[in-house]
Amino acid sequence: MLDTTLVKESLSLMAIGMGTVFSFLLLLVLLLRIMSWLAHRLSPLEAQTLPATPMAPMTEQAADAELIAVITAAVTRYRSRWRP
Amino acid sequence: MDALLTLWESTGVANLGWQQALMVVIGCGLIYLAIAKKFEPLLLVPIGFGAVLSNIPVAGIGGPDGLFGMIYSVGVQTGIFPLLIFMGVGALTDFGALIARPSTLLLGAAAQFGIFATLIGAVALNALPGFNFTLQDASAIAIIGGADGPTAIFLASRLAPDLLGAIAVAAYSYMALVPIIQPPIMRLFTTKKERAVVMEQLRPVSRLERIFFPFVVMILCGLLLPSAAPLIGMLMFGNLLRESGVVERLSRAAQNEIINVVTIMLGLAVGSRLSAEKFLAIETLGILVLGALAFSIGTAAGVLMGKIMYRATGGKVNPLIGAAGVSAVPMAARVVNRVGLESNPHNFLLMHAMGPNVAGVLGSAVAAGVLLALTGG
Repeated sequence: MLDTTLVKESLSLMAIGMGTVFSFLLLLVLLLRIMSWLAHRLSPLEAQTLPATPMAPMTEQAADAELIAVITAAVTRYRSRWRP
Repeated sequence: MDALLTLWESTGVANLGWQQALMVVIGCGLIYLAIAKKFEPLLLVPIGFGAVLSNIPVAGIGGPDGLFGMIYSVGVQTGIFPLLIFMGVGALTDFGALIARPSTLLLGAAAQFGIFATLIGAVALNALPGFNFTLQDASAIAIIGGADGPTAIFLASRLAPDLLGAIAVAAYSYMALVPIIQPPIMRLFTTKKERAVVMEQLRPVSRLERIFFPFVVMILCGLLLPSAAPLIGMLMFGNLLRESGVVERLSRAAQNEIINVVTIMLGLAVGSRLSAEKFLAIETLGILVLGALAFSIGTAAGVLMGKIMYRATGGKVNPLIGAAGVSAVPMAARVVNRVGLESNPHNFLLMHAMGPNVAGVLGSAVAAGVLLALTGG
């Protein structure tokens, strides 16, 4: 049994539904563009500051030297303990 | 002698009907698909085992006073479980691709056409004997085309609780079948030249934009479509946990512990709806057919919208990414990437497809809100 009022109702549901989905997401496109523009106005430098890594070569070398010293000490201690 | 007879009458063998036996076999079939074929195992294992346990005669595990029956009435009937899962999905989802290229939202919108076309299909099916879908039933079936398990379960629990088992099984089965259903449709509607389009790299998205995003979506949803606010609200809350960067622990809980616990409960509760009297009906067959239709039409509509965008931008948009508009995150985006690689082995579309993919999640939540507002009564 095909109910014609039901078919009509579902057709109008389809039209309203697709219309709503499209207009909702279109509005969202617009709002997102405004939001991105606003975000860039508020903090224009954020994107550039992120990738910069504050690690100077000098400190890196110093850290390396320290690391080597620590490892050497550990190895010496290990050997002294395990080879009587 | 009487005692023996009473004992016999309380055994499973004496009370097992062929319907229950068949449902146990179907439950085992789902578990087989999950283990051997890796079909959405996270859900099909609990659903399958839930179905097996609920069809044990006499025990009544799926009944109103049984374990699964109670889990169902607390978590699924109220809509709480699908909403908690949505929170986890929000915490897991990176909306960066969408923020970088908001126009991909249109692809997510177009793919929702599958939902509404299936609505007509479900109503038209009433012309056949044995089918008697109301508009509510048809809406709940149609949302399978949204390719979003939690949304489908949420809407079914509101509009057509009787069909919930079949709808959930259809939704998750077809999500698993995305890599098989989509590629032929994608190839059918695009030319080789269109499929080979290389898209320019997405711009980086700042942290501030990521934090603003949930609020923008929420405000729009609250103003225009409050019936979708539970779904979209939880999705955006989960996303805010992720992007705010200050509640790492809550974000991780939403992404792992909460979503995992809820998935087990949801699966078992849905499995308990696979009872013989509700599942072994001609309607189930109709739902399975309509679900496949919904997926195919959604994919086609997304790809066609992609073609429109390809023309409108002078060939900068690869129409294939439209197919990812049917949510099914991230499977649909991976399928797009694979089909794109077939035409141009150096063309990686994955990041570009993620935009329409997450737009599809929003789109199907909006569609669910519309259906709920118009047929929810």
